[in-house]
Amino acid sequence: MANDAPPQSGRNSPKPPPVKLYSVKEPPFKGFQPVDTEGYEKSSPSTAIVIDNGSSTVRAGWSFDQSPRIQIPPLWSKYRDRKLNRTFTFVGSDIYADGTARGQSKNVYEPGSNIINNWDAMEGVLDYVFIKLGIDGESGGIDRPIVMTEPVTNLGYTRKTMSEILFECYGAPSVAYGVDSLFSYSHNSGRTGLVVSSSYTTTHLIPVLNQKPLFSHASRLNWGWYQGAEYLQKLLRLKYPSFSGKISDPQAEDLVQEHCSISLDYENELSRYLDWTGLEDRDHIVQFPYTEQVVVQKSEEELARAAEKRKESGRRLQEQAAKMRLDKLIRKEQEVAYYKELQEKITNTTKKEAKRMLESEDFDDEVGLGKKIKEMEKSIRKARNKDLGDTEEEEQEIPTFPLLDTPDDQLDEDGLKAKRQQRLAKSNYDARQRAKAEREREKARLAEEERLDNERREADPEVWIEERRVARQALLQKIRDRERLKADLGNRKSLANQMRMKTIANLASDNPTKKRRRGNDEDTFGADDADWGVYRQVATGEASDDEEEEDLNNSLKSIEAQLLKHDPLFSEQSTLEAQTDWTKSLMHAFTRGCWPHDPESQREANQIHLNVERIRVPEVVFQPSIAGLDQAGIIEIAANILTQRLDEGYRIDVARDVFLTGGNTMLVNFDQRLRGEMVAVMPAGSEIGVRRARDPLLDAWRGAAKWAQGAGAKSTFVTRAEFAEKGAEYIREHHLGNAF
Amino acid sequence: MAPITQASDETNHQALLDKLDLYAIRKPFRKPTWKPPQRRNKNVKQIIAEASRKEASVMATQNNSGSSTPLPPATGADTGATTPANGVNRQPNIAQAAQNLSQLVLEKNLRAANSTGPTVTYTNIEAAPSLHPASQRHYCDITGLPAPYKDPKTRLRYHNVEVYGVLRTLNQATTENHLAARGAHTVLK
Repeated sequence: MANDAPPQSGRNSPKPPPVKLYSVKEPPFKGFQPVDTEGYEKSSPSTAIVIDNGSSTVRAGWSFDQSPRIQIPPLWSKYRDRKLNRTFTFVGSDIYADGTARGQSKNVYEPGSNIINNWDAMEGVLDYVFIKLGIDGESGGIDRPIVMTEPVTNLGYTRKTMSEILFECYGAPSVAYGVDSLFSYSHNSGRTGLVVSSSYTTTHLIPVLNQKPLFSHASRLNWGWYQGAEYLQKLLRLKYPSFSGKISDPQAEDLVQEHCSISLDYENELSRYLDWTGLEDRDHIVQFPYTEQVVVQKSEEELARAAEKRKESGRRLQEQAAKMRLDKLIRKEQEVAYYKELQEKITNTTKKEAKRMLESEDFDDEVGLGKKIKEMEKSIRKARNKDLGDTEEEEQEIPTFPLLDTPDDQLDEDGLKAKRQQRLAKSNYDARQRAKAEREREKARLAEEERLDNERREADPEVWIEERRVARQALLQKIRDRERLKADLGNRKSLANQMRMKTIANLASDNPTKKRRRGNDEDTFGADDADWGVYRQVATGEASDDEEEEDLNNSLKSIEAQLLKHDPLFSEQSTLEAQTDWTKSLMHAFTRGCWPHDPESQREANQIHLNVERIRVPEVVFQPSIAGLDQAGIIEIAANILTQRLDEGYRIDVARDVFLTGGNTMLVNFDQRLRGEMVAVMPAGSEIGVRRARDPLLDAWRGAAKWAQGAGAKSTFVTRAEFAEKGAEYIREHHLGNAF
Repeated sequence: MAPITQASDETNHQALLDKLDLYAIRKPFRKPTWKPPQRRNKNVKQIIAEASRKEASVMATQNNSGSSTPLPPATGADTGATTPANGVNRQPNIAQAAQNLSQLVLEKNLRAANSTGPTVTYTNIEAAPSLHPASQRHYCDITGLPAPYKDPKTRLRYHNVEVYGVLRTLNQATTENHLAARGAHTVLK
């Protein structure tokens, strides 16, 4: 480990590519479930149908079964297909078979609560249960008693409606209700203890004394697996705002179950969670389906062919151009011949006639014609040379400007014109020469500077290095200032932005600013080159300061290069680039783990890294304030029940058997963490036993089935006659059910 | 109408749906006379509000001022001044009978309440807010790590200067979403 630790300010050593990519599951469609008539045939009218009416899963079977025959999510979907003119109803995982069915699906329960909200869906689910259990309904109803679970302190309205449905719609002979976690506890032969039932939507703590639950001391925390999954989804949406994939609710629940675990020492583990060492194990990558943008890789042959094609078309173009040039040349030659002929003719005719001919050809006099001919011959020569491939060297000799020295009064009109032209040409030429000289001088100056610099370094290396360092610091400061300014400009109310607005207003306004009103009235904007800098300040957005930033970065790089070369204390790891390397970034570790990120890659854009979330999400049961739930955590609740609300005499017995049941308690380390923290809050020396249900999911159903078969249960069923007489909310109390 | 699992494709999807459909299946165990009551789907809030309203109204009628009782309950039996043959008193006094009955119920309820403490209801078993000082730990709103700092402007908690750099770039909506994750966002009513 010691040699593994990264140096203080350097890049972290790279990690091998991730070993395992996790994925999310498909919609959990389980396939067609056949009707199972075997149980019904085996049953007698006194055999109860046991339904664990849970908010994550409805489980149903016969009381003599070892395990429930039916396990479905409480989902129901009913819709009318207009094309087929037909109504469809799907229940449970069947809704995942079809897009529309899934879109139309309704949950039986109110989201995030253990209270039934949609009774049509409830009836649909019960229909499914009774159909699949093979009940023939010859008597016009289900002729079997029903044992059903209900939440702790179920609401009167909910129980009433459920009883109404069971008795009046399904014609059940008798019905009994019980609490799921207590069934589970009795199935695990518990007598006295604290039942901690953390299930899908709620977490309950119920103390039990001699098999009698003390509901007056029970407590409910409104947090379960569902809320955890919802919280995880919320966190991931914030973590990856640009994530295009969709995480469905069942997928989020799977993520919680598969990747989350309870931390035994949350504070400690959390503060080290994103450390570089071992991050590859803590960081889980979940890969979502994606389509890679296919970049077509061309083969050698194809590339060669494409090049050939390009060359070919280039050649054709060249040929065309050459042909055109040739045509032009020929035309020009013909023109020259014509003009020459004209010249000849002119010399042979009278002056008057010559003048007429010249004028008809738009020439002023013979000189003009000569000039034209000369010009054309020159251009022909040039074109010919070009065609032949060798370009005639531009005459390098210094051009002469003979007319410039001649005084104006010695020249006629043409002379003056020519002189003007020559003057222009001369100033042009001079400027070019000056620029050239300037360049030479600059080059020399730089060379000289470098030489001096080297000299100085050799003479006094320490001072030199110190200077460089100061310069580097100044540059860094400048870069930082720029960044701050940029950030400030993003904020409309910041000082920087207000200044900018003021400047814009000043630039745009026609009125003179205050300064000019006092005294000098002249607008001197532009007299100083620095004045134009104001536009640079004003411009924001994409390209405004890229150039300058580039400049800063370049000079920083050159200084760092110099320091690297000559400063023994300045290593590669002290460069800005190394310090801002992604391996040093906490945010990178948070969003992308310990691997480099390629923003272009579709594969990586569809990846989710679970790291802190893996302990942060399940921690909410212990610290509900993390997710903004204003309730005490289970440790505090348990301590309160054990040390404050229970009589001291029972405390020891209850603390000896803390019993965990429900899907949410299946998280890794749930029992260990609970035990550890209970020891901390209970009086010293208390014996604390924490155990898990053998099957936290199915034991509630099994307990209910066992109870239904037992002798004592028969007297606690409410019959149809009692329902009619005593009202829909009436129940008989028993040790595993709610109080009336 | 689109297959979304591997279980079916375009060709056999309709057949699968026909097989899964429960609407067409006969359900002889359902009573044909069953008519579900209207508007029976209520959420928890509604149910609790209705229950408490009902309770309040029952309390109001039981805890009456005597205006509904034309005669005090003790007049007849104690004194014996009036004979049972008295025509007025022999008339069934419905108001009095009702009051007696409701008093009985009230007394029974009171007795039940006294014996086991307050009745347990769905609302009052909810765990109370935490009073433990350890529950005041603060975590970074962005990374979830321990957060020693808080940005006074956005009210976001953050872990270190790098996270602070990130949170300065967030817009208001995102900031609110981060706060909402721990229930500290501003709710406009």
